[in-house]
Amino acid sequence: VSTSDRGYGPVYLTLGLASLTGVSVAVLIASPISHVLSQARAPVYYDPVRMVLLYSTLPRLVMAALCGAGLAASSAILQQVLQNPLASPTTLGIDAGARLALALAILFVPSLFGIGRDTVALIGSATSALLVFTLVRRREFSAISIVLAGLVVSLYCGALSAILVLVKDRTLTSLFIWGSGSLSQQSWGPGIGLAVRFGLMAVPISLLVRPLSLLDLGDESVRSLGLSVTKLRLLAIGAAVVLSAFVTSAVGVIGFIGMVAPIIARLAGARRFGERLLWSSLIGALLLLLTDATLQNLAGLSSEFIPTGAVTAVLGSPLLLFLLPRLKVVTRPLPNMATGRGWAFSIRASLPILATVFALLLCLAILVGRGPSGEWQIIPMRQWSEVMPWRLPRLGAAASAGALLGVAGLILQRLTGNEMASPEVLGVSAGAILAVAVSLFAVSGIGRVGESVFATAGGFSVLGAILVLGRHSGFAPERVLLAGIALNALIDAVVGVLSSTGDPRAITLLYWMAGSTSGTTSADAVNAGIATIFLVGASLLTVRWLAILPLGGPHAKALGVPIARARFLLLLLASILTATATPILGPLTFVGLMAPHIVLVIGIRRILPALLSVAAVGAVIMTTADWLARTVAFPIQLPTGLIAAMVGAPFLMMLLNRRSAST
Amino acid sequence: MGSSLNRRQFLACLAVSAGSPFVARIAAAATNLRVASLDWALTETMITLGHDPIAIVGASDWDRFVVEPRLPAGIADLGLQPEINFELLAELKPDLILTSPFIQELEPLLGKIAPIIRLSIFEKGPVPLAQPRAVTEALGERLECVKATQSFLANADRLFDQFRQRVLALDPLPLMLLNFVDARHARVYGGAGLYQNVLDRLGLSNAWSGGTNYWGFSTVGIEKLATRESLRLIAFEPIPPDTLPTLQGSPLWSQLPFVRAGHVSVLPPVLMFGAMPSALRFARLLVEHLESFSK
Repeated sequence: VSTSDRGYGPVYLTLGLASLTGVSVAVLIASPISHVLSQARAPVYYDPVRMVLLYSTLPRLVMAALCGAGLAASSAILQQVLQNPLASPTTLGIDAGARLALALAILFVPSLFGIGRDTVALIGSATSALLVFTLVRRREFSAISIVLAGLVVSLYCGALSAILVLVKDRTLTSLFIWGSGSLSQQSWGPGIGLAVRFGLMAVPISLLVRPLSLLDLGDESVRSLGLSVTKLRLLAIGAAVVLSAFVTSAVGVIGFIGMVAPIIARLAGARRFGERLLWSSLIGALLLLLTDATLQNLAGLSSEFIPTGAVTAVLGSPLLLFLLPRLKVVTRPLPNMATGRGWAFSIRASLPILATVFALLLCLAILVGRGPSGEWQIIPMRQWSEVMPWRLPRLGAAASAGALLGVAGLILQRLTGNEMASPEVLGVSAGAILAVAVSLFAVSGIGRVGESVFATAGGFSVLGAILVLGRHSGFAPERVLLAGIALNALIDAVVGVLSSTGDPRAITLLYWMAGSTSGTTSADAVNAGIATIFLVGASLLTVRWLAILPLGGPHAKALGVPIARARFLLLLLASILTATATPILGPLTFVGLMAPHIVLVIGIRRILPALLSVAAVGAVIMTTADWLARTVAFPIQLPTGLIAAMVGAPFLMMLLNRRSAST
Repeated sequence: MGSSLNRRQFLACLAVSAGSPFVARIAAAATNLRVASLDWALTETMITLGHDPIAIVGASDWDRFVVEPRLPAGIADLGLQPEINFELLAELKPDLILTSPFIQELEPLLGKIAPIIRLSIFEKGPVPLAQPRAVTEALGERLECVKATQSFLANADRLFDQFRQRVLALDPLPLMLLNFVDARHARVYGGAGLYQNVLDRLGLSNAWSGGTNYWGFSTVGIEKLATRESLRLIAFEPIPPDTLPTLQGSPLWSQLPFVRAGHVSVLPPVLMFGAMPSALRFARLLVEHLESFSK
């Protein structure tokens, strides 16, 4: 990190940013102000230009500055407490929790809005934040695991709200806008309200500054002052969550401003925590103000409604990709996979058990269903000719994709030594979604086959990009994962923009993301099956590397493994596995995350049987999910991918929690 | 073939008093073609023509968003439009499946179950309501109830003419049609949408000049509604419970000339992506509403 010697870096940077912002704001308000001044002599009753300037444009500018400052301050605190440059309200799942809470409230208790959207959003934020911290509390809040836990919680809350949105899209339109953070204002009320709340938070936060800055010197120095580190962390995190939840409840999700501002402040040379907090708040305020004013200046170019939060996310994620390598992320040696206590099944016993479970589930999924009037039944033989051509292909394709993702997950987790790694965070799925989005909006009527082609192409382009970018770092797994996370955020933003315009095609995209297996043809299923046999077979060839790489770089080198090449090929394999499965199941399954953990809990450690059983477990999960998707809400069918996430994620959280408690 | 309107039904159609089921259903189906309809606009048209589909999508939300015509009992629900329950559809063995461009990409699959016709409500026609009319005719032809279709359309024309006369007699203000999305945003309608078609048919002018997307609406911050012009705002239900109280606290809103004049109306929901029956429903709700306070 380059720091300017006398600490003027932040000052210069802020001044530069402020002048840019000033220009943009001036352009925005110059013409209305001159209009208002020219009318001052002969005031008309309700001059729209004047009213919009006074009660919309100006409060909106204030709101933008407040929100930017609040989010940046919140992130600066989180980054300090967790000593982790990636911590921010968004990466910790706080926004996703608020979104889910709002969706539930709109659908089930709309009267809650009498109390206020803020309260609802606040409760959601707090719950998801608690969940994230429960998941990582025994992992010393390490940078990558907290971000991944946040991602899992975000994905899970996201999956839940996605199901609600898909089933009730007409009722939940407002969530689309909320999720992309519109700063649009019609009075000073919300801005004043937010300022008052920030004011109330200012005293407790200023009291926290000194003890928090001691964290830079290590926990010991905090203790030497007679403070409890745990208590300090809890208080500070609580304050940060409250700050960001205030913002989120006022305007919705504003992506990335929070995370980026403190990083910029740090790079500009703000070294002490107090300085960082101050400068990042200023930088955050200016960044959001600049973005919003520029967006409003450009708004005339498009008749579509583009919310500011989506724009900051679209701009922020590449910025983050650019900034991150310039930060010293503490790179630890690859830790061993945490070893929990598995059940003491021998491999000999567990493989046949798995096979039997799979066979039984398959029978259940094929034969048991709901009849035309909704009754549970074993499907009578005479209806087979109607039902089976629809049921078997989707089951087969889902099971294949489950196996593919399971294997991809195992490879990634071994490779990164991080048990939260999964194909979903690799970025390959995100690339596939982006390609489908483009195909839906830019090319008309390409059909399902065309979508799959686009998805696969998108997945592989991201793969290519990852491999090219990753070469510099010798395919360091953490870098690759970070790139994937940034890419996922970018996709979220793009989807957010598309859906907040209200375009019906956005719903098609959401279904695609949800992993809808409805309408899978037998040809699709056969292709998926063949690909699975081939790719799982290929993965068996990597057994030696997978066994040795987790021992860490030096050991692996000593044992004669070409590290960079091995990492490259394993990444390539995991990506191909993922890119093959994503067009079938969408990006949200969690199977790649769950299946390896289940195998570990069963007690299968050796890599060869682990690969085989992880494929089986993946297939079992997806078979179950497909069956549930067809039957639980009959006659409504739900997207299989989302159901897998719904079923799997709580189970996964339970597992992680149990294992972290036992280590 | 009891497809033509008898005298009583005809009168029932004309009896447009508030609360009565408005578009009288034409008695019996001409053929017993078993039709699955995968689009609400086509479904409402079929029901109005007296030929009930055997299965439709999104049946559980019908009463909330379409309201009229009432969904007859015994119609199977095929679930969500993009995630159709193919198994159930196959088991029901329809003779014909109606689709729309929204679900075009599913047609190769649906074709395995039954023949398909795709009808698009959503194309801008040369005259107002030309496309819904063309779709109704095409549907009537395919369902072999041409006579019923013609009398329905003729009747619809008469009704629209009457509505037009009634509404123009009121010398109404330009209208701004919208849905409140939350307390800060709204969707304003115009362009190629059904509502605009109805306004055109009735000779009413739309006060929204801000342009719309392809589908005939635009999502905007509520400050975009600020204008000095005299107009009437028509907000469709449902309105989020916190919207109007919040807006009352905003001078930008509460001092708006049309708000101060009390020119803000709330209408029950009308299917935005609907066909002729929804157009008639909207026209009737609008005219009755405008008449209710001008007397």
